[in-house]
Amino acid sequence: MDIQQLNSMSPLRVFEESINGGLGKGNLGVIVSKHGVGKTACLVHLATDKLFKSENVIHVSFSGNVEHVINWYKEVFREIAAIQSLDDAAMVYNSILANRVVMNFSQEQVPITKVLASLESLISQGSFKADTILFDGFKLTVASEEDIQKIKAFAEKMQLEIWFAVSPVRPDVVYDDYGVPNTLEKYFDQIDVLVALKYDDKEDKVMMTVVRAHGENVPKPAKVALDPRTMLIAHN
Amino acid sequence: MPHDLLGMRNIGISAHIDSGKTTLSERILYFSGKIHAFHDVRGKDGVGATMDSMELERERGITIASAATNVEWKGHPINIIDTPGHVDFTVEVERSLRVLDGAILVLCSVGGVQSQSITVDRQMKRYRVPRIAFVNKCDRTGANPYRVKDQLIEKLGLNAVLMEIPIGLEDKLQGVVDLIEMKALYFDAGASGDDVREAEIPAELLDEAIAKREELLDTVSMCSGNDELMEALLEDPESISKDLIKECIRRATIALELVPVFMGSAYKNKGIQPLLDGVVSYLPNPTEVENIALDLDDKEKEIVLKSDDNEKPVILAFKLEDGQYGQLTYIRVYQGKIKKGDTLFNIRTRKKFNVGRLVKMHASTMEDVTECGCGEIAALFGIDCASGDTFCDPSLNYSMTSMFVPNPVISLAIKPVDKKAADNMAKALNRFTKEDPTFQTYVDPESNQTIIKGMGELHLDVYIERMKREYKAEVEVGKPEVAYREAISQRADFNFTHKKQTGGSGQYARVAGYIEPTVAVSEDEPAKDYEFIDEVKGGAIPTEYIPSCDKGFQAALKKGTQIGFPVIGVRCVVNDGAWHPVDSSDMAFQTAALGAFRDAYDRAKPVILEPVMKVEVEGPAEFQGNIFGSINQRRGLIISSTENNNSCVVVAEVPLSEMFGYSTVLRSLTQGKAEFSMEVAKYGRVPQSVSDELKKAYEEKKKKEAGK
Repeated sequence: MDIQQLNSMSPLRVFEESINGGLGKGNLGVIVSKHGVGKTACLVHLATDKLFKSENVIHVSFSGNVEHVINWYKEVFREIAAIQSLDDAAMVYNSILANRVVMNFSQEQVPITKVLASLESLISQGSFKADTILFDGFKLTVASEEDIQKIKAFAEKMQLEIWFAVSPVRPDVVYDDYGVPNTLEKYFDQIDVLVALKYDDKEDKVMMTVVRAHGENVPKPAKVALDPRTMLIAHN
Repeated sequence: MPHDLLGMRNIGISAHIDSGKTTLSERILYFSGKIHAFHDVRGKDGVGATMDSMELERERGITIASAATNVEWKGHPINIIDTPGHVDFTVEVERSLRVLDGAILVLCSVGGVQSQSITVDRQMKRYRVPRIAFVNKCDRTGANPYRVKDQLIEKLGLNAVLMEIPIGLEDKLQGVVDLIEMKALYFDAGASGDDVREAEIPAELLDEAIAKREELLDTVSMCSGNDELMEALLEDPESISKDLIKECIRRATIALELVPVFMGSAYKNKGIQPLLDGVVSYLPNPTEVENIALDLDDKEKEIVLKSDDNEKPVILAFKLEDGQYGQLTYIRVYQGKIKKGDTLFNIRTRKKFNVGRLVKMHASTMEDVTECGCGEIAALFGIDCASGDTFCDPSLNYSMTSMFVPNPVISLAIKPVDKKAADNMAKALNRFTKEDPTFQTYVDPESNQTIIKGMGELHLDVYIERMKREYKAEVEVGKPEVAYREAISQRADFNFTHKKQTGGSGQYARVAGYIEPTVAVSEDEPAKDYEFIDEVKGGAIPTEYIPSCDKGFQAALKKGTQIGFPVIGVRCVVNDGAWHPVDSSDMAFQTAALGAFRDAYDRAKPVILEPVMKVEVEGPAEFQGNIFGSINQRRGLIISSTENNNSCVVVAEVPLSEMFGYSTVLRSLTQGKAEFSMEVAKYGRVPQSVSDELKKAYEEKKKKEAGK
């Protein structure tokens, strides 16, 4: 199938529907889960979907090295292309690469203002017209409220969708039924869309729940879940 | 010296430019008694380091060509290949790596793992070269060997482990603590720290030494095959013998599972002797590395060579050098041994020759020997060959595996200033092309100009300089030109008849079929440059003329009609045709295929491709915006950017044509604080505007030539 067909059939369309039509520019979205449940795969799938729609994506990573992130994209792309038997996969892959930049920081040393300044210089001086920024491995649960406000203001100013993938680092974190850690509560007002991932023993699947969508608390199951083999978002 | 294969080491010293590997080589020569005084690369005495044999290198303070040197350390013969560090000369590095059994990866204690170290490390991984690391320049301000070790783990993915910890750092560097012997080593005895003074570990370092030793033991015991150490560690850590630890480190290092890290300062003569001990203790001898040759008599079947003097000899010529006495050929003996007067067979040229003068090299001086045993590195005089050639016993037909040689991406025209220069230039080019497979030359039949091709601006610059200095060949240099390629973007059918009737026998051939772009099967299997498929049925074209069609297409592909560069990525399919019993010939079908291709080419929507470089720019984070901007202005694509402390590394893909003069621009943008390296990443399509410009320039050039 070609790329248009793939986009229209993508489980991401269902996902967007369950968050009232997508995140939207100027807004912050958060995917939260315990460590190792599959939030990075989920985030990269989200990014790849944007790339398929010819949107520009900046992937900001704080933990892994650049190669590691690039390999994630390679893997996720390979899985999607194989599942949907995408035409000219090698060519599509090469063409979407032009729309992605990976930025790597170590959070301990680089303050958020510097991260945002670097992003801005990439967007303006590097002429990279970003639509979406993904923060992978940002320690949101220990970040200060001020940091989040700065990021939110940046999203509004630059007209960006910003997604975070978050795993709590502290061992004493308490999770609710949907997989939302209590350490995240203080930011609820800042978050426009909150999606929680939680491994379900009975289903042997990672379930996605939309906890907040555009200012409302609406704990409802998304109509998609993570495929246990590929860890990609799939039709439920 | 008896031929001691087990004690022998063939090692290389590889590193980032300016991390001090030439100084390190020099100190190794000094401490192993090969030289009696040392000079520095940029020394004030003007003598220069002994390893930099070429005058030019001395001037630029960089090492371009590898010099092979034989030294002896505590009874172990060690051959050292000093490898060049600049990215433009990576073929030199790769060719050297091929003959090594192990390597020292030199890192700067301040700069740490830099982009060049990453390139070099990738090359070492490709050739499976076991390595130990040496963190140099620990006497510099900001030295931090611990951070460098962490970078080896994070950036290069190596299982690096400290073998030593420093006693003092920066200007207080005094020595190191050996974590296996648990002794402090000072290098303050003798004229230049010639004798190592052992002492107790300073009290303030004891806790750290114990902790780092534990770390060392833990890491080593986790490597495969080291269960004995693991058990001993669990049961009674006190009982572990030093020999067991060393044996385990050696096993893991040779299996590429571990990289022992040594440290010191070559310039200040600190830490060199323990590093040499490390080379002997942990890097493999020639018998411990598997070397493979291809048997040309048996469908290139892989043959594992035997490191045994009594076997028939198999030898690789890995480097040529033009000396005072003619061509010097550096060789490594992989199997058997050779003596003066032996007859050998050059597999490529299919010619036999006799071994004449045989020498062992010490940078610029040499020592005559009568024989060269297995695993050894030596040099031959007066042999006509190219680098990369295999020499065998005349009864064998083995070829050492072909080495990875990238295609040149840049070319420029050179013109000798007078007749004498022309003769000298010819001599120089003949030599250089033999020495370096990535340096190529030809005479353009249309412009009658001599064109040289290579891997980058600096690469060609160096050869032009060498022509002047070593061969007294003054040349005028043209503007560098990028090696473009042409390609097609869609299928086009053809049905072409070639007919000529001019009395006597005529020419007749008709070919029909189509051309289409080849596609990449997967990432590891890129699109083929050319493919010919014969689908002719029922003898429409007699089988004897099918190869003629193939030849005709290949001739057409050599020069595309858009801008005169080779056409790549084409599948030519012939499925019909016609012939004539008298007028058809090999030539007629070749001409028909050529005509058919030219005819279909315009309909196949041809495009122009250009080499795209992977560029890595490293500099202070404050200049990140400027770096982004400079890449953006050059039609570049930013792939990634990494920020750490106050430095940033930006990786981008930029067309080569936009990179001319980038070093000057970058210097002014960043107050000289950033540096960059690049290598060919791929061929990419040029944008329409550039394509139009290139075509216009080509038309003009053709007109000008026609008008001559």
